[in-house]
Parts: sequence; structure tokens; C-alpha cells
Amino acid sequence: MSWQGSLFLARFDAMASPCEILLALPREQQSLAEKLARIAAEEVWRIEATYSRYRPDNFFARLHQQAGQWQEVDAETTRLLDFADQAWQLSGGLFDITSGILRRVWSFDGSDRLPDPDAVAALLPRIGWDQVGWESRTDSLGGRLFLPSGMELDLGGLGKEYAADRALGLALQALQAALGSAQSASLPGLLVNLGGDLAANAPPSEQAPWRVGIESTAVENQAASLLELTRGGLATSGDSRRYLVCDGKRYGHLLNPKTGWPLQKAPRSVTVSAPTCVQSGLVASLALLQGEAAETFLKQTGLAYWLAA
Amino acid sequence: MMKLQRIVLLLLIGLLISGCSSWGVKPWERDLLAADKMQLISEPVEMGLDDHIYFSKEGSSGGRSFGGGGCGCN
Amino acid sequence: MSNDLDKKSLPLGTTLAALGCALLQGLPNQAQAGELENWDVDAAVLVYSESDSRVQAAEPVISATRNFDSETQLNLKLVLDTLTGASPNGALPSNQPQTFTRPSGKGSYTTDAGELPLDDTFRDTRVAASADWSAPINRDWTYSVGGHFSSEHDYLSTGTNASLSRYLNQKNTTLTLAGGLSLDSISPEGGLPVGLSSMAVPGSGSFNSDFAASRSGSEDDKLVTDLLFGVTQVINRRTLMQFNYSLNRADGYLNDPYKVVSVLDQPGGTTQGYRYEQRPDSRIKQALFGQVKYQLGSGDVADLSYRYQFDDWGLNSHTLEFKYRWDLGRHYLEPQLRWYTQSAVDFYQPYALTSQVNGGLDEVTADYRLGDFDAWTLGVRYGYQVTEGQEAYTRLSLYQQTTDDFSSSTTPASGDDLPDTTAVMWILGYKF
Repeated sequence: MSWQGSLFLARFDAMASPCEILLALPREQQSLAEKLARIAAEEVWRIEATYSRYRPDNFFARLHQQAGQWQEVDAETTRLLDFADQAWQLSGGLFDITSGILRRVWSFDGSDRLPDPDAVAALLPRIGWDQVGWESRTDSLGGRLFLPSGMELDLGGLGKEYAADRALGLALQALQAALGSAQSASLPGLLVNLGGDLAANAPPSEQAPWRVGIESTAVENQAASLLELTRGGLATSGDSRRYLVCDGKRYGHLLNPKTGWPLQKAPRSVTVSAPTCVQSGLVASLALLQGEAAETFLKQTGLAYWLAA
Repeated sequence: MMKLQRIVLLLLIGLLISGCSSWGVKPWERDLLAADKMQLISEPVEMGLDDHIYFSKEGSSGGRSFGGGGCGCN
Repeated sequence: MSNDLDKKSLPLGTTLAALGCALLQGLPNQAQAGELENWDVDAAVLVYSESDSRVQAAEPVISATRNFDSETQLNLKLVLDTLTGASPNGALPSNQPQTFTRPSGKGSYTTDAGELPLDDTFRDTRVAASADWSAPINRDWTYSVGGHFSSEHDYLSTGTNASLSRYLNQKNTTLTLAGGLSLDSISPEGGLPVGLSSMAVPGSGSFNSDFAASRSGSEDDKLVTDLLFGVTQVINRRTLMQFNYSLNRADGYLNDPYKVVSVLDQPGGTTQGYRYEQRPDSRIKQALFGQVKYQLGSGDVADLSYRYQFDDWGLNSHTLEFKYRWDLGRHYLEPQLRWYTQSAVDFYQPYALTSQVNGGLDEVTADYRLGDFDAWTLGVRYGYQVTEGQEAYTRLSLYQQTTDDFSSSTTPASGDDLPDTTAVMWILGYKF
């Protein structure tokens, strides 16, 4: 926790990214700032611990151990799976949380090593959200999941954005409680930055927006990738450094779950600012999935966006 | 644009499948209902003006909400 | 929910907005913060113009709404209403010129033979203000409270209202119980006419004493209580329905102090004089109201509503209204159609007979608004989304009331002798 002249800055690491929490509180409220930052960071760590696919012993791992049978899931997972389900429907099946398995054959390291087409084809039967049994209860407080054996879920496409929104939300809740004010409009500005996925409730002051340096190369050729955000979310989908080049043809890292091969003519990355970080992330992903129509799609949404072609 | 239309179409199909089984929607299906134009009284100012006219020209009033009234109205 | 995405006409955008809300259930939604800092203002002016130089009105209104969070809201509204022109005074046309005492008792006005008698003294300005507050009590309950104030030179109304709503079935069903109370005081120009008393004849030797005899006091009041029970049901993602039952009770002075009744010696005969109208001192109205809203795949919205109202004065009415909002990107066009029909109250007569007034008639009105008639309104609204959150709109409508023949064995009348009303209504407004 450090004082930056007009606001507090807390740094921590989570989800394989450098993370920051910025709090526009007066200097004398350091203990409150520390409390809020701790609440936010702990929420990010909690989500990471629960849903990370890299841990052998967490909730997510147990979910996969019970593949091949119906299992009950909790309210939070229900909301996430409902969200993934809607995104899958919205994208015509292109946004698919079962497609992470393709990473076993694709590694986008800038080389020319394309995978064996047979190996790709062999994975396809294990991909497809429509093969997963999912029934959320009418009260949305739980649901039943049937994950066919051999299939894997990967919430990596929305986990970081979700964590940013949750972290901000919980910190705001605590701030409201601390200030005894129900008027969220008058709360001081907080910003959560999880490796470039941002969520903010209000600007740090009336005059100035948040200015955030984004490490991703979303905005190529712009000095230091400095973005301005007043409030809401901001997220990037795609990474212009991850690709393969073979026979002069460039293969972007975005894979079509239906073919197992990269989508053609998609922009390298899309950054979107929507009211929440999760929405920003989803719109960015959906835009990328439109291929060359990405920019038309983004214009239709009316949201602020940045493209790297 | 084509893809967008397909997305809209998919949404519609989803609706047709899920729409008839029971009344009501899930919280995330309130997108269309949330629009201003889908509020039961979508134009309160226009309704207020109409209520006032009809209150002063007809023998009935109200019913929808407590419309009209509060005037001598000749 | 209202946030930036909701304002897009794009179905995808609105779906995303709803998705984000469900996922972040229960957390203070930062997305709303931008909306919260502003007042949403809707400012409009209505110009109302009846044909044959009858009532002309201009009514500017400004309504400002502040959203504190998605369910907590304050609305303030101010209406100004300026009225000029003439209004039917209740008397029947005659084959002789007719002269009437002005309500103030000072001066008179004359209607030509064969013309519908109109009182041309109306010139009034009304100021009305209201405030309404609504907020949640907890997850399942919300309430609202409000008050209004309305003032004209001869009429003053103050009232309050409150409602309590209960959400059921994941907010797909809403039950609402609402009540209202309004206390109005009437102080007509020239004092309160004595019901069924004779209008003093202008120029007669006994005018002053006759006029004084037709007046009793200067002010009276009425108490209006409202009770409404409503059910709102979400049918599916595109369809919403509402049913209301409402009860409205008015007690006190319910006459229109400016309305008279012609007294004829016999049907189709000669006018003998005029009596001030007299209505009962209480009225209980009940109404059943239903509405369906349906959004089509194109984003168009169809809105159908029906109201059946009946009361203990014997008036029954049916109102059917249909609107179709046709979305054209940043523009929309909304044709509107309304049909209304009512039956007369039991004590309505186009005129009274000498034998009736001498024989103990205790209630009578010739106010066409309590008679038998049908009305059509045909209109079209056009709106243009200037920028996100700003809309310019206008509406033009034509209102037409037609009165049928009054069939009665004692006081029959031809519809030609009863007032019809044709009016043009024009609204111009801006939301920001």
C-alpha cells in the first residue's frame, strides 16, 4: 500500500498477472484503504483458488473428477455457467468454455509449428457446450451439471473479468458500509486492474479520468498503451503476440471450437469498455469471433473500443 | 451484419424453445423487458397529458393508475 | 436495470447488459454510477385545440426523475395549463337567441338561434406539481409515496398516495396495493349555485335578488379516495401483462358549478328558463383494467389495453387503446388508436320539462360529458434519438366525440342538438 500523491495504490499478484487496486481516498483514511484493498485482493485470490484449472485440489478439479455423472453445483458456479451458456448461444457456438482442451495441440509461440491435423480432429468430439448437460434451478441458486468424460471446462475466458467486477463490488459494499451511505453515486472512486482487465465505479476526481497503462499490446503503436477510463469496465480479448506463421500465412491464436483451427481474418486483439468488466470481456470476445466483421460489430454495440489489426 | 442477424435469430430460436414451458423469465432474460419502451407506462409525460384531457372530456378516469383528477376541468 | 447498454436498440447489447447483471447479483453495480449522477428530464408542451373556437389550451410540463439506484427513484413534475375559449354550458340550442347570465353574475352572453350555447368566459391558468418517491424495502417488497398540488383560480386540489408492491416468482409476478386521498376545494366565480335553482334572467327587474337566491356560499369541497389492486405478470422475454381492479370514491360537492339545464314546456317546445344542475353528493366508480405489451423480433412494441368502468351513477364505459411502436433505428413511429364509449348517468337529460322541475326533480345534469357518446382518438407519435440519452419527440392526434340521439319517452332529443367535440392535440417534447 503506497500513497501516490492523490490516491492509494496497492499491488499484488494473482491469476498470473500483476494486479493493482487504486483508491481515491483522502490520505488520513489509510486504514480504510488497506481494508478495502485486502477485501478486493482476497476476493481475486478466492476466485483464482476456486476456479483455476492449474490446481489439483480445488473445486474446479473436483468438478472434473466427477465427469460422467450428474453433479450439483453452487450458486456462484451456476451464475457463471448460465453466463457461459448465454454467451455460447449468443455467439452461435463460437464462445465455448469446453474448447480449452485445444491448447494441448496448439501453442502460439511465434514459430511455424502447426499441429498435426489428425491430432486436432481427434480432440473435436470432446468439444462442444451442447454436449454438456446443464440445468440451472429456477431460482438460480444452484444447478445440475453433467460433464461427459474426457471433456474439460475452462473459465479462463471470463474468470479474470469476473474477478475484477467482484473485487470492485465487494470493496464498494464495504465502503458503503464504512461510510454509512447508500448513495453509490457519491462514493469515492476505486479501480481494480487485474493485468489489464479493469473495473471502476467512478473517476478519481471530478476533473480527471483514470489513466491506466495496459501491458497487453491491445493498442499497438500507441505510446505506452495508456488508456483513459472514467467508470465501468475495460477488457481485452486476443493477444497480438500470440500467433504462428507457416508458409507465409499467419495463424492467430483464436480457435474456432467447431473446426479446431484459428479463425481467419480476425483482428489480433480487441479492447472494449462496457459498464462492467465481464460485459467488456464478452463483447471483446464476441467481436473477435466475428472475424473481419469485428469492427462493424463493435460499432453496432455503441461501446468504446480499441482494435489492433 | 449477417452474423449479427444470425445471433438475433439464435436468440429468437432459444426463446421459442424455452418460451412456452412456463410463464416468467430468468434474471438474465430481462434484457428486452428492461428497455424503457417495454415499461407498462413507457411515456409517463404523454400519459399524464392524455389523462388530463380525457378526465376533462369524459365521464370515466383512472383504472391504469390514479390518472387525471385534481382539476376543475371545464 | 438501466445502464449504458440498455439504451441501444441492438438486441445483443441489451442481452449483454442483462447477462452482466445476473452474474454480479447483489453487488453494487458500478455500471449504474454514470446514470445516477444525472436527472432524467422529460419536457413537453401540449397544444389542445377544439374546433368552432371552443377550448384552446397550452400545457407545458416538465418531469425530472432521479435514480438513486436501480429501484430507488424520485420524480418531480410541474405542469402549467392555460385555458381559453368557450365550453358548452349544458343548455340546448333553441330557435330563438338565448341570453345567459355569466357565472359571476356580472354581465351576460347571448347565443344565436340554432347555435349550441357556449359559455365564453373561460380563461384559466392551472399550476400543478407532484412528487413521487419509490424505493425497495427489501428483496421482495417495494413501496412508493407521493403527493400532488394543483391550483386554479376556482379550484384547489391537494392529495397524497402510497403503494406497496410484493415481488413473487423471481420478480416475474408483482402484486401492488395502492391508495390515494385527495381533498379538493371549489370556489366558483360568483359563488356556489344552488342546485336546481333558476338562473337569474339578465336585465330583469328582480335580477339582483334572483341572482342572490341562486347562490349559496362561496366554497365547498370534495374528498376523493382511491384504492387499486394490481397484478403484473411477465409472460416471457417479450410479453408483459397487467390487470388492475380499482375503486374510486368521491364525496362532497360533485356538481359542475358552470353547467345549467334548459327547461322546456314540452319535448321540442319552447325554452322556459334554465336551472343549475344538481348531482348526487357521492359517487363510487369501479374499474377493471388490462394491458398487454409485446415486443416483436424487430424490436417493435405492440401495446393493447382495455378498461371497463362502471359506477353507481349508472355510467358504464369501455376504453380500448392500441399503440404500435415501429422501430426504425434512431427513429420510431407510433400510430395510436383509442376507442371510448360511455352510457349516460341515470340523471342525465338533454333538458328538463317544466312538469319535471315542478314535480320534485331532485337530480339532473345536461353535461354532455355525463351523457351517451362515443369517442375516437387517432394519433401518431414520432421520436428521434438525438444522442444517447436524448430524444426529441412529437405527437399529433385527433379526438372526435359523437353523440347519438337521446331516446327517452319524456325528454327525447336529436343527437344534432347535443354537443360533439372535435379537437386536435399536438405534443412536442424533449428528453435529456
